[in-house]
Amino acid sequence: MKVLTFSWEYPPAKNGGLGVACFGLTRELLTAGIAVTLVLPKTQPWRGDARVLFADTERLVVADRQADVIFGPYNQASTLIESIIGYDLHGQPIYKSRSILEEAHRFATQAAVIARLEEFDVIHAHDWTSYLAGVAAKIVSGKQLILHVHATSYDQAASDNVDPNIYKIEKEAFELADKVVTVSEYTRQIVVHKHGIDPAKVEVVHNGCDAEDVIEQLPTLVELKRQGKKIVLYHGRISIQKGVDYFVRAARKVVDVDPDVVFVISGWGDMITQVIDQVGSMGLSENVRFAGALWEEDRDRMYQSADLFVMPSVSEPFGLVPLEALQHGTPSVISKQSGVAEVLTHALKVDFWDVDEMANQILSALRYPVVREQMVSEGRLQLLGMSWKIAAQKVKQLYQNLVQYATS
Amino acid sequence: MLTVCPYFHVHQPYRVKKYRVFDIGEDTEYFNDVSGTDLDNRFIVEKVADKSYRPTNKILKQLLDTHPEFRFNLSFSGTVLDQFEAYAPDVLESFQELVATGRVEILADTYHHSLAFFYSVPEFKRQVQKHERRIKQLFGVKPRVFRNTELSYRNDLAKWCEDNGYLGIMAEGWEKYLGDRSPNYVYNPPGCNKIKILLKNYKLSDDIAFRFGNKEWPDWPLSADTYANWIHSHHGDGQTVNLFMDYESFGEHQWEDTGIFEFLKVVPEMLLRHPDTSFKTATETVQAYDTAGVYDVPDILTWADTERDLTAWIGNDIQRDAIAATYRMEGAVMQTGKRNLIETWRKLQTSDHYYYMCTKWSNDGDVHAYFSPYKSPYDAYINFMNALSDLKLRVDHAVKEKELSAAAASSNSLGRPVAEITQPSTEIETEPEEILEVEEKQSPKSRPEPTDEPSPLSNIWNRIKKLLPLHKLKQKPS
Repeated sequence: MKVLTFSWEYPPAKNGGLGVACFGLTRELLTAGIAVTLVLPKTQPWRGDARVLFADTERLVVADRQADVIFGPYNQASTLIESIIGYDLHGQPIYKSRSILEEAHRFATQAAVIARLEEFDVIHAHDWTSYLAGVAAKIVSGKQLILHVHATSYDQAASDNVDPNIYKIEKEAFELADKVVTVSEYTRQIVVHKHGIDPAKVEVVHNGCDAEDVIEQLPTLVELKRQGKKIVLYHGRISIQKGVDYFVRAARKVVDVDPDVVFVISGWGDMITQVIDQVGSMGLSENVRFAGALWEEDRDRMYQSADLFVMPSVSEPFGLVPLEALQHGTPSVISKQSGVAEVLTHALKVDFWDVDEMANQILSALRYPVVREQMVSEGRLQLLGMSWKIAAQKVKQLYQNLVQYATS
Repeated sequence: MLTVCPYFHVHQPYRVKKYRVFDIGEDTEYFNDVSGTDLDNRFIVEKVADKSYRPTNKILKQLLDTHPEFRFNLSFSGTVLDQFEAYAPDVLESFQELVATGRVEILADTYHHSLAFFYSVPEFKRQVQKHERRIKQLFGVKPRVFRNTELSYRNDLAKWCEDNGYLGIMAEGWEKYLGDRSPNYVYNPPGCNKIKILLKNYKLSDDIAFRFGNKEWPDWPLSADTYANWIHSHHGDGQTVNLFMDYESFGEHQWEDTGIFEFLKVVPEMLLRHPDTSFKTATETVQAYDTAGVYDVPDILTWADTERDLTAWIGNDIQRDAIAATYRMEGAVMQTGKRNLIETWRKLQTSDHYYYMCTKWSNDGDVHAYFSPYKSPYDAYINFMNALSDLKLRVDHAVKEKELSAAAASSNSLGRPVAEITQPSTEIETEPEEILEVEEKQSPKSRPEPTDEPSPLSNIWNRIKKLLPLHKLKQKPS
């Protein structure tokens, strides 16, 4: 079984959950005997054993730009990105601005070329920036197409101001696809109800979570803890989708009852100024700390030092962060508007808009240590069952079903 | 000769309403949800009354009228009797009519459907006595055979029951303790010479209680005729088939559309067709048969799950924490001598609260195995602990007040300034101190308990209160 896979991002490039998910799934598909050829839009280093092609350099594809572009999958379609299209007489790069939408179309053109040259049985494309590429490859090759939904235009916009360009690509691509895979039932419902896709065509494959050997980091916020403060952590992008504003409103209610709680906001994003203003106007400057965007050891140190993690997302297709926090021994309050709420039993769950209940859960979890201990001890056991291996088994079965239908 | 001894257990807990951290110290009502959901106790009792209690009692009464040989046993929690009285008095009357036939025996139980025996024997004893008084008051009978919450059982419980005059006790007939022996005989506990054990025939009981409406079950649909044949097949290898189940099996666990009511209507007649088959109540059964051997249960045995233990109630850390926190309060709660505080504390001892915190199913993904009105075991725990925290505040306040009133009384100076006397708690505002029911003398083995009778000092405090309307000072704005 040979699969031609399109993805917009891939580790070690630091991006969102898309790259992490593609990596975990690809690795286990390879282990399961699937020959994965991975096509990425631009030349970059990569992890793992997959055969990788770059759409900007391979074969007949005209390399009209080099690699200094950062694609963010969470931008609007019209967001401009700059790429180097050549160099002037002085050796200085010449930039050209293009929208992500234009890049997605360019990726599709290149995908068509690659699909003509490669041999494969099934096409698998991840997220909207790769859907056009997947569709192009299907048109050229006539092979079956799976679109894998890690996020939708509805999640990023938190239901308001859905980008019409992205929505149009999603809807048309879903209709053309032979299977649509979503990372949760929550997202499946969006695809069925918001995009109007036949429910029989949409399958859920929950994300896995790699069990990593957790390295004990030196503690952080030591002085606060020494003073008997309890630490509640948010970690993620600071955007409307992530619900940080609800987190701050819950913080106000918590601090009214227990002033010894400190809220740490780790991350960055387009809503950061608004959230800083909100903290100031709610009189929470003493109790809210902004940690900036933390990565790797710094992030792990924060996970380990926190007493409780909160994921207040307005719309979260899956949501890996509570599982990461759990690996580091920190239990979570998670939004019910998330995919991870479907698979993680051992967490407190709340509607993101219900800030009273969010505050109640935060206060209760801090008040009764046994509930936190149990969510960690039983949650860690549950994590063992959420492997990428299981996700890959389901995907492999989908491949086999599709190929069977196509040849019979 | 083979006799059939059915017992149906009737119970509803007082479910704790949504109770947040913010409510601690503000709201002293924990059981008064009126949302019309599964936390609304009145709503549940009315719903189950329609689905189960009313239609089933009607059938049972007809059966008693038609078949003079028909006999069975009932066990009630005090919490369900209180709720019948408040929300469905006609249901209570229909039960009284059944008992008035003289062919329906009531079993002894804990008032609050608690696991108190395993945490505090003195508290357990008080609940059993309270239950006995309530049964006497409502039904005019005195129970003589004991069954404990969730059919939980251990050798020392049997010994306690023997010491307290019971003729028999119910337990699960479990292979681990039976070995090759049949549950269809009467046994005796080790170290006891009077009390006898009636063992549940779990296969024949669960055929009705759990499997009756299950279409995946090879024996579905079960006819009364087939079922009677299964029981009759025990002629010659047993004396009594003990069928123990939740009363709510009829109409609530097994819905009407499973045919459970039609089954119930005809099964006694089918059983009586065999000339050597009859019905006996629990007391008649233990009096009719000699014991066939010793049933030795050193560890807690229940009727639950494949493990037949208490892990559904106290199997995880939050459950053990919650129940330990509850019983840790015993000394202070009893010291207050206030009936409403003691009663509230006891309502929180009902085993259902801990059951809702069970996480056993989470590892095998069987999310439907445990019913709960809460969204998750963690929500159940938080809700319960918040309510318990509030009760603890009230109890601590009442204890402190009692000590201060004692001090005030001993100083014997009624003219002291008001500010030096503690402010009365809301307990006094809302509930005048009552004389608690007089408890029987403690057995010598149990540890000394604070007396429930108001002390002479608190009587003096009552007089002070009448002189000075202090309680007006602390009244909350309503």
